[in-house]
Amino acid sequence: MQALPLDPEQPRRDFLKKLSAASIAALMARAPRASAETIIQPKATADACILLWMGGGMAAPETFDPKAYQPFVKGAPVANMLSTFPAIDTSVDNIKICQGLEKIAKVMDRATLIRSAVQPDLGSILHSRHQYHWHTGYVPPQTVAAPHIGAWMAKVLGPRNPVMPAFINIGQRLEGVGESEELKAFTTGGFFGSEFGPMNLPFPKEAMLAVRPPKGMDPGRFSNRRAFFQKLIDRTPHRDLMSDYQEASMLRSLDSAHRLLSAPEAKAFDLGLESKETREAYGDSNFGQGCLLARNLVEKGARFVEVTTEYVPFKNWDTHASGHEVMERMHREIDGPIARLILDLEERKLLDRTLVIVATEFSRDAMIEGVPGSKARDQSTAKSDVLLEPKHYGLHRHFTGGSSVVMFGGGMKKGYVHGSTADERPLIVTKDPVSISDLHATIFTAMGISPKTMYEIEQRPFYATQDGTGVAVKNVFA
Amino acid sequence: MGAIRQSISMTSSRFALCLLGALVTSLNAAPDFIHEVAPILKKHCAECHTESKKKGGLSMNDENSFREGSENGPILHPTHPEKSLLLEVISTDDEDLRMPPKGKGLDDKQVEIIRQWVMAGAKWEPGYALKTPAYEPPLRPRNPTLPVAQGKRSNPIDRIIDHYLAGKKLPRPAPLDDSAFLRRVHLDLVGLLPDVETVRSFTADKSADKRSRLVDKLLADKTAYTDHWLTFWNDHLRNDYAGPGVIENGRKQISGWLYQAIYDNMPYDEFVRQLVAPTAENEGFANGIVWRGTISAAQIPPMQYAQSVGQTFLGINLKCASCHDSFVDRWKLSEAYGLAAIYSDKPLEMFRCDKPTGKTAVAAWLFPELGTVDASLPKDQRLKQLAALITHPQNGRTPRAIVNRLWQRLMGRGIVHPVDAMQSAPWNEDLLDYLAVHLTENHYDLKQTLRLICGSAAYQSKSESFREAPLESNYSYLGPRAKRLTAEEFTDAVWQICGTAPQKIDAPVNRDKAMVARASLMKSDLLMRTLGRPNREQIVTTRPNDLATLEAMDLNNGAILDQRLVQGAKALEARKFTSPTELSTYLWQAALSRNPTPEELKLSLTQLGPAPTAAAIQDLLWGLFMLPEFQIIR
Repeated sequence: MQALPLDPEQPRRDFLKKLSAASIAALMARAPRASAETIIQPKATADACILLWMGGGMAAPETFDPKAYQPFVKGAPVANMLSTFPAIDTSVDNIKICQGLEKIAKVMDRATLIRSAVQPDLGSILHSRHQYHWHTGYVPPQTVAAPHIGAWMAKVLGPRNPVMPAFINIGQRLEGVGESEELKAFTTGGFFGSEFGPMNLPFPKEAMLAVRPPKGMDPGRFSNRRAFFQKLIDRTPHRDLMSDYQEASMLRSLDSAHRLLSAPEAKAFDLGLESKETREAYGDSNFGQGCLLARNLVEKGARFVEVTTEYVPFKNWDTHASGHEVMERMHREIDGPIARLILDLEERKLLDRTLVIVATEFSRDAMIEGVPGSKARDQSTAKSDVLLEPKHYGLHRHFTGGSSVVMFGGGMKKGYVHGSTADERPLIVTKDPVSISDLHATIFTAMGISPKTMYEIEQRPFYATQDGTGVAVKNVFA
Repeated sequence: MGAIRQSISMTSSRFALCLLGALVTSLNAAPDFIHEVAPILKKHCAECHTESKKKGGLSMNDENSFREGSENGPILHPTHPEKSLLLEVISTDDEDLRMPPKGKGLDDKQVEIIRQWVMAGAKWEPGYALKTPAYEPPLRPRNPTLPVAQGKRSNPIDRIIDHYLAGKKLPRPAPLDDSAFLRRVHLDLVGLLPDVETVRSFTADKSADKRSRLVDKLLADKTAYTDHWLTFWNDHLRNDYAGPGVIENGRKQISGWLYQAIYDNMPYDEFVRQLVAPTAENEGFANGIVWRGTISAAQIPPMQYAQSVGQTFLGINLKCASCHDSFVDRWKLSEAYGLAAIYSDKPLEMFRCDKPTGKTAVAAWLFPELGTVDASLPKDQRLKQLAALITHPQNGRTPRAIVNRLWQRLMGRGIVHPVDAMQSAPWNEDLLDYLAVHLTENHYDLKQTLRLICGSAAYQSKSESFREAPLESNYSYLGPRAKRLTAEEFTDAVWQICGTAPQKIDAPVNRDKAMVARASLMKSDLLMRTLGRPNREQIVTTRPNDLATLEAMDLNNGAILDQRLVQGAKALEARKFTSPTELSTYLWQAALSRNPTPEELKLSLTQLGPAPTAAAIQDLLWGLFMLPEFQIIR
């Protein structure tokens, strides 16, 4: 058998060729077939994408779309409560965001702020279904496993750097948290197969473990183990299978996996190599460290990275009581890291070709569950008509009528606001609504993927945006 | 008699022509179909409306399908040809309605040719087909005549395949040696590797019938057999011990019922009947997964039922037809709704692409030739009728679907491929039909099918080896296809070789508590997930056969496998093998069902050193488990 080269310097093209061979193999079994139809892919304005996921429902009026401020005053009617934070100025004259986001305010001149994102109500507001919808573009349940948008990028665009996994998911535990099965349902390559699924790094501070020998195994032993394996391969008595396609393809995958560990890119996973100043600038939270990790991974060639504040039912953005207090913490958790990430990418000349998106599954409101007129069950646990104690103070109901998405870099306009919501309740979108399909179409278009890109699964067409109908929001492109 | 009929038909067609002549003022000579019309249809319509493609429900394969029309009804107007839908869509200026939707469409001259052809009665050349109509599988069972056995190769499968190979002048695959057969048959029938003692005794056994005795022994090992086939059925019935919908009480396990049914080797027809018309203990499959809130009309529980029953038991994909008439096969929206309505508790309103049609579905089953479901009966009786029709003795599709799945599991590729697309032509109709009849004649005993396959020379042959990814079109049988260990088989093998299987299982089933766990009985973990165990949110009937890079990363340095190996090495160290040679030999036999070659033994001894530490054993284990020889079942 031809010895497999372990040299990390092996030419990229060769590796890509091998990788595509594995992908072809995946096509063999039950896998989707690309459309015979020629789709003209748009010219990309971004090469990499970082999704900063505010899982749990980030309230727009408490973050990027401030409304009339209601301070905590005992006895004040809850119906008067639109925002619990005053608005502050940003680096753009006509853009105000909420107090607590002062650092992000300074970089809003690099941002496109969509204030008119809308989601369907789905009859019942369930994070799992809305998150599935946001991440795949399809409302669950589906008859086939829908791929995550990161998997679409991995599938259509492939890795930017062949040693770096194309789709990396940071900060979300998939075991031991509530609704973990529901999270797993969309954190997947779906019908594209695991080749295009995420590399999961639930704890950014331990990310380097993913590219290190297993715990307790020193590098010397690890490479000896590998060398021993290679000798076993070289001396296999089954010489008739030396050129067998399945065997060769399995060995190639093992080789690719091994290569990442010895590649210089592996260092990008190790936050321990960062200076104290840098680590502190990103804050101690998993999200902050995740942002730093995302910066490094994109710098070293990752295609799509998601970093989340982590969705855990009733935690973080998912405030069903004491919302204001939790928001103060969430502001601290995201403000520094997001601002620093943007500035760092800019300094590294990466921001122009990296699309950074801050998004969430829906917004929140103090009074309305769903959209006006929705029959969804009211899920606030702090029910009161007037503010009596701090637990009543905050936006405790899921609102799908208008939420904010912030986008930086990647060909988006700078210091631009798209769409608006009403200033009086209901805080629904009053101008230029952007659906999930259209938002995805915008993201995909920026990445050079047509929203109509289609693969066949079980002989049926399956599109990058639902039924191929997503239309990119032209106005947000610079 | 024949002459009379001919003269009548000539008269009537002349009559039709006269009528046309009266309607149309200036009738040019009708365009020639073959030379003028067919090329236009081929160029502009064929991509979406021939072979298996039926966009908008319209097929132009042949005259019949063309005249049948589309979802919107006939495309030719019966009395006013100038009002034909066909003419409207090829000539309209409305970009959204125009056909073909892509490109510039027909030019004026082409539109005029089609118009004249339609005005002249849209006559096809008799028997002419733009494309051969898609294969339509037969409904009824068929008992093929078996070809004469060649030599001692009397197994009916071999009689059919030998005849097939001879006819195609293809070589007979080489026979499989004892140890490879032993390993393959163990994994295929009970999902476990043969233990070292079995490897020794089987290879030493000189009796002629040892292979068939082994097959019988494995099939008789009820617990091991059930533990293994539980994975197969969990995939097909999307049953699991955790999964989406559980928090919402949206799904119900059928694990207890299922385990017992496999254990008792419940006849397959009875198994199907009980799942189609379930009781409280196994209704989880029929009920599907219920999500809170509004969902697509194509995913309401009755429609999930139609899809699941269609896919799992008949190999029919009703997912397209749940939303609109299928573009790719014969199934229509009304048929999917008919099946769904059998299960529905209340009158079922029909939706097309999530828009109400104003029609109410009528409970009906897919093949009325065999009998019908009485829509006026209460639900439980309708389900019983459906169960009887699906397992009707004259319904060959149910046994064909399951024998094809078993063949695929054992031989690596279905006789019909893929296994959920039973509308596709089999590569050998006799083989498929024979296996199906064999199953029904053996009272739907699935173990008999497995026994028959495992006893064939075809099964006991070397698997096909190829240098490039094979193309599935124009498939020819050249031997079994190699399979990769499933996530469960891989997990079990590690536990088995090291003796480290856990004691406690997650599945709520009635099983001997003293027996160690099997992976099929455990909740999925991240390693099993990466190795291809599906989420079971959908029915997934085929596992991925290739190792993806991300899976390889989990094998290379992932924590779950590493912990298993740490634990395994400790357990092996504690077993006090007398020498590193003995340990090496044990591991080769246990993992690869063969002895190490002298070269391999030397390597192993160097790796282990004179006094093997747990770490040295652990790394040897890893090396063995990563070998394609370990992970690919040949």
